[in-house]
Amino acid sequence: MIPEFEYAPYVWTSYGIFAIIVAWQVIQPLLKRRRLKAELREEQALEEGDYSHDAQT
Amino acid sequence: MIWHNIKVGFHRLGSPPVFHRLCRVVAPWLWAGAAICAAFGLYKALYLVPPDYQQSDSFRILYVHVPAAWQAMAGYLVMSVLAVIALVWRIRTTEIMAMMGAPIGAAFTLICLATGSIWGRPMWGTWWAWDARLTSMLVLLFVYLGIMGLYAAFEDKRKGARVACILILVGLVNIPIIHFSVEWWTTLHQGSTISFFGESSMDSSMMPPLIWMVIATKLMFGAALLDRSRNELIEQDRRKGWVRQKLGASA
Repeated sequence: MIPEFEYAPYVWTSYGIFAIIVAWQVIQPLLKRRRLKAELREEQALEEGDYSHDAQT
Repeated sequence: MIWHNIKVGFHRLGSPPVFHRLCRVVAPWLWAGAAICAAFGLYKALYLVPPDYQQSDSFRILYVHVPAAWQAMAGYLVMSVLAVIALVWRIRTTEIMAMMGAPIGAAFTLICLATGSIWGRPMWGTWWAWDARLTSMLVLLFVYLGIMGLYAAFEDKRKGARVACILILVGLVNIPIIHFSVEWWTTLHQGSTISFFGESSMDSSMMPPLIWMVIATKLMFGAALLDRSRNELIEQDRRKGWVRQKLGASA
């Protein structure tokens, strides 16, 4: 029993907003962790005297 | 003996590597649980539950609106407990968790306000009204944003967390205002229809999807909190040996 046409835009927009914001809660930490890992690897490489990471960026 | 073990376990969580491991192991399970509960809840909410006799299908919005509203408030209570622990015992992992709860709480508050507004348009004939429930919920969003801003404003993260923890406790006064606003003032927003201790005015056939969605949002909050706390811990401890060691494997 899917929402009637009269109210369908309201219902689906609400569920869409819910889905987008929840998806962002999943994706945001993953993206941040990936960025952090890349930064830390670069820092570690620079400390060890390997400048190849720096040249790539 | 059991009490001693609980106490030791609690203190061990103050250790960043232990806390990091806990976040890494537990968060995926919480996300999986949230996905399963949300799948059940959404299926029932959109396909199985019959339309309301007055509001027709528009009432289905409550299955995302109410769990988000409850989680926005429950999240704040969790942050308040963490803030007290952080201020009294100065446990850094607890400070981090208290701070990382704010963007998640703000997200649920935003869902609540947006879906409430969308529901209000066909039912009340307006997107927004400055009534006590809506306004106090908007204040909650600003409190969450204030906590995030205050924490970000300090270069010394620990100092920032302590100041923001005090703001969390000040903002706690808004939670009973939100809850009782529909009783204290005449509001456009309806009164409570669901009661845990008394009889609910909501039909029992409409309850199961709500329960599934409420559990799903609780698990989502927990999972997102652990994920964000883990990242913040890595960022703060980026120069420490345990992070460098973990980076060798997987941070």
